[in-house]
Amino acid sequence: MEMLQYALRKLITGIPLILGVTLISFLLMVYFGPDKTYDLIGKNATPEQIAEIRHQLGYDRPFLTRYLEYLKELVTLDFGYSDSTGERVSSILKRTIPISLALVLPGFVLGNLLGIALALAAAWYRGRWLDKLIMGGSVVGMSVSFLIVIIAFQILLSSNYGLGWFPVRGWNVYDFGDYLRYVTVPTLATVFVALGYNTRFYRAVFVEEMGRDHVRTARAFGTPPAELLFKHVLKNALIPIITRIMFSIPFVVISGALLIESYFGIPGVGLVTYDAITTGDQPVLKAVVGLTAALFVLVLILNDILYKVVDPRVSLK
Amino acid sequence: MSFHPFRLSLILWMALLAACSAGPGTDGLKIYRHSLGGRPTSLDPVQSATVYANHLVVNLYDTLYAYKYLARPYQLKPNLAVAMPEVSDDGLVYTIHIKKGVHFIDDPCFPEGKGREVTAADFVYSMKRHFDPKSRSQGSWLWAGKIEGMEAWKKAGADYDRPVAGLKALDRYTIQIRLTRPFPQLVHTLAQGFSAIVPREAVERYGREFSIHPVGSGPFRLQTFDSVRAVLVRNPKYRKEPIDLAYEGYDPERQARYGIARIQGKVPPLVDRLEIHFIKEGLSRWNSFTKGDEIQFASIPRELLDEVLLKKQPEVVLRARYAKKYFYTSGLENGFVHTDFNMKDPKIGYNPDPRRQERNHALRCAIRYAFDWAERNRTFYNDMGRVFPGIIPPVVPEFDPDASKESIRHDPEKARKLLEEAGWNAANLPVLTYGGVASVTSRQMFEQFRGWLTRIGYPKEKIQFDSYASFGDYNKAVKQAKIMIVGMGWGLDYPDAENTLQLFYGPNGSPGSNASNFDDPEYNRLYEKSSVMQPSPERTAIYRRMNRIVEDACVTISGLSRRYILLWHKNVVSYPDSSIVGGFHLKYVDVLPEGQEKK
Amino acid sequence: MNRSRERTSLWAKAWYKLRRDRIGMISLGVVLLYFVVALGVWLGLWGQGWSQVEGPMWAPPGPKYWLGTNIIGQDIFERALYSTRTAFDVGLVVAVLSTLLGGLMGGLAGYFSNRWADELILWLMGVLDAIPFYLFVAALAYALQGNPYAMHIAMIATFWTTTARLVRGEVIKLKQFEFVEAARAIGLPRRLILFRHILPNTFHILLVQATIVFVGAIKSEVILSFLGLGVTDGVSWGLMIAESTQEVQAGHFSNFVTASSFLFVLVMAFNLFADALQDALDPRKVSA
Repeated sequence: MEMLQYALRKLITGIPLILGVTLISFLLMVYFGPDKTYDLIGKNATPEQIAEIRHQLGYDRPFLTRYLEYLKELVTLDFGYSDSTGERVSSILKRTIPISLALVLPGFVLGNLLGIALALAAAWYRGRWLDKLIMGGSVVGMSVSFLIVIIAFQILLSSNYGLGWFPVRGWNVYDFGDYLRYVTVPTLATVFVALGYNTRFYRAVFVEEMGRDHVRTARAFGTPPAELLFKHVLKNALIPIITRIMFSIPFVVISGALLIESYFGIPGVGLVTYDAITTGDQPVLKAVVGLTAALFVLVLILNDILYKVVDPRVSLK
Repeated sequence: MSFHPFRLSLILWMALLAACSAGPGTDGLKIYRHSLGGRPTSLDPVQSATVYANHLVVNLYDTLYAYKYLARPYQLKPNLAVAMPEVSDDGLVYTIHIKKGVHFIDDPCFPEGKGREVTAADFVYSMKRHFDPKSRSQGSWLWAGKIEGMEAWKKAGADYDRPVAGLKALDRYTIQIRLTRPFPQLVHTLAQGFSAIVPREAVERYGREFSIHPVGSGPFRLQTFDSVRAVLVRNPKYRKEPIDLAYEGYDPERQARYGIARIQGKVPPLVDRLEIHFIKEGLSRWNSFTKGDEIQFASIPRELLDEVLLKKQPEVVLRARYAKKYFYTSGLENGFVHTDFNMKDPKIGYNPDPRRQERNHALRCAIRYAFDWAERNRTFYNDMGRVFPGIIPPVVPEFDPDASKESIRHDPEKARKLLEEAGWNAANLPVLTYGGVASVTSRQMFEQFRGWLTRIGYPKEKIQFDSYASFGDYNKAVKQAKIMIVGMGWGLDYPDAENTLQLFYGPNGSPGSNASNFDDPEYNRLYEKSSVMQPSPERTAIYRRMNRIVEDACVTISGLSRRYILLWHKNVVSYPDSSIVGGFHLKYVDVLPEGQEKK
Repeated sequence: MNRSRERTSLWAKAWYKLRRDRIGMISLGVVLLYFVVALGVWLGLWGQGWSQVEGPMWAPPGPKYWLGTNIIGQDIFERALYSTRTAFDVGLVVAVLSTLLGGLMGGLAGYFSNRWADELILWLMGVLDAIPFYLFVAALAYALQGNPYAMHIAMIATFWTTTARLVRGEVIKLKQFEFVEAARAIGLPRRLILFRHILPNTFHILLVQATIVFVGAIKSEVILSFLGLGVTDGVSWGLMIAESTQEVQAGHFSNFVTASSFLFVLVMAFNLFADALQDALDPRKVSA
């Protein structure tokens, strides 16, 4: 009961956040975004036709009316039709979000798991050569641009100039075998880039945990390393780990997928969003921005609740 | 450790990789994987303005006319129409009979889901849609002001139940079009995706989503469509018309090597499943093509030409290792690229001060002499494009191979002299802005342009790049006449120079297609006179005069027709064309079973 | 005054620590070397021929064109040099301004914690954090189209929030120290307390944040330029890499390798330097 009340209270505090996000992004897209009109007119359009299209797109209505309509759309989850293809926004999202999830999830999970494993090793052997090696590697990983990694991996693993093991691009997925073929290279690229950051972050967390008195004592008493790491270190480090993972979720789906999807030609939500930005497809943008903001708020709330579950000392007040 | 989980999983994984499929239920089907360099956004015929959309639309829908598969130069042929139109002596009334017994595909929009017969009224409905503001037509300009009573119909509220005087179904299978003035290119426009025939039931049922839910009577029907590919499957109800190669313009000398003879007498469409992949990045497309089991059709990316080609001139020859695996064809594009000066800008074009206007003319001509077409051709078109003077490109019959080449001559000396004579110097030269999309290529084109101008003494900081983040934004600025120097490309809608000459017709100025906003009374008069004329030597003479007017006024630096090279796998029987015949060729594409490539 | 002596000793200690950190010093040297290159471009000493199209297409590296030329015959080495300046342009502007903004906002929020100013700033930070980075930058880049600083502004607008959160936390902590209590007790104006006594004590956070933001900015520039939303005038490593994506498979690696290495070395050095700095400045932090 207390939990439910807490969640509801948090939900209400999330409303101004959603309002802020939608207002700022809507302002940007309406006043400064690309004008869709000129994508929709023919080679020899007349000023009259241009006015007609502007009217149909709703560009001639006052901002406030349009913003209120946006909020209504957000509440009813009905964003209408894409201005480019005419497809329902909801069916676009239904089609593309699963693809993006399938695409980024393996990389995300592996990147975090490997990051934690490497960080544990580094923290355990702090100051020794293994630690130095891992940390050096992670700085290198952090210093290579994602773009360079993607280009290099595609050439090395997919093209005929390299090994040519995987499809160069596309997403013809019908069964698990196809899925593995298409997801491997993007996953490797994501893991490569995420690993450096994750390892550093988790190492810092573990080093702090290992420095605590009870861990040091346990270590001194010869507690087996596995027990020590899992029981004392990992468990206590759970909060920062969970926070980091949860907060990356809303962005992994969109930002993380954007570069990969546009480079590999995968029809996920990142590509759709990027196209919507560059062509000014407002219904799609409204949906993506609104839903991301809502997801973000949801994560905030869940995170607070999880804190409570993991660590009862955190007050709900 | 006694076992190696890593090695085990690797083996498992490699086994999975080996299993490759095109999807459930595709075993034993004939699949052809085509590719295009861009993607269509809408499959609604009235919005099929891009060559990509057109490729799909003409395969999903029927058009009255089409282009013969193999004939070059291009020739029209009846498609859904029974024969070429009967035209009245004054060239104003067209009567067209359509084939009987042609049905739309089965779709829930029809009663009991059974596709009904295509009738003349469907064509009338489809054409009216262009003048209904709700359908957001991009092709109405082709017929605007030309069909009797159409504008009045639109003004009266675009009610489909009201008749249009100039567009009638005389009976179930007869169409009559009455024009306000002769329009010799009409039949060409009836071979475009724009005039494809749609059923009213589908438009009304799917509303906005009609654009992704095509219901037509073409050789294929749509299975899936997204931003990276479309999958089409054979329309089993498509009318059975065996291929007559002689009729399609088969030329054994040019085409026998592609093994086309083997499709004689077969009934299109020849494949069961047609995948069209949209791949913008040339290299990704190439990598997918050379992979073997992915797309089967591509062109060569600019960066790889030297690697793939043995010879570029006078004929394209592939290196042996590529020629062994791929068929290829090459030719000049049906269009050209040019760089226009915006005449509405008083700093470089028309100016209220006649003296300044004259000096602007000298300035434009000087810039034109500074422009080095040979170098542009070398860097951006692999030295394979064809540079020609003026705005009548080599692919149209009205092209004059003997015309003076003065307007494409590179002469920095003369440019400098022109500037000097007109009193221009580093201090008083205007700031030039060169518009472009913020892409690597257009930036490089700008940098090259700036390099040339600095060589004739133009101060570097006075030449600026006006960059736009997307093509839509660039197009908007062009349509609003905001850009000073406009790089443009034009793809011909039909093979008649009228289609390029209209680019400089005054009344077509922004937001029309006349990006230079050139407005010359003599030119306009000649355009109006020639636009109602049937092809004739007299008309050609007028066209060429108009060409010279544009050249003398130095309103454009023009032009270059790019050369395309198309490649396809050897197990594919095809004679592809990327523009005029365009999508019409896809129903004739055949795929040979493995091991049968050798003739 | 006791506090200020403590501060001086913190800096002296940090400097001492840093000087002994060999990797930190080497990376600082590398960064400074890059800075000298950028300075030279600024002063017009080198890298001025980046826009000339005099060379042949795709010339191999040689005595005339040290690292070869690109497709339109521009000298790749010159372009890489000039791009160093662009990188510092972007990095410095974004790092300095976003750190200042973050420090100011974080300071205000922390000082007025749990009051409306704090709520407002927290709300703003929450909003900015909730918009996906590339979406926001892309939207801002469009919004400020034609403005050569569109990208800078977009990055500043997103990068300041992290700094602000850290500073806010530190300020809330500092507020409870006696010297602040004392200042308040003798009736010093709030503004003075905040700017004289509290913010200077967050300087070590700002310094470390600035180096991190610098790295973030030049890395983001690469991706934004690839997406066509980045540098509009001049040349940058990002633009060079964008150019090279079309060239690498034709066997012309010079553009790609040059730009990638210039970028990699600088980012690497900056990352290592940021680490060393952090180690040196954080009294609690035990060095690795």
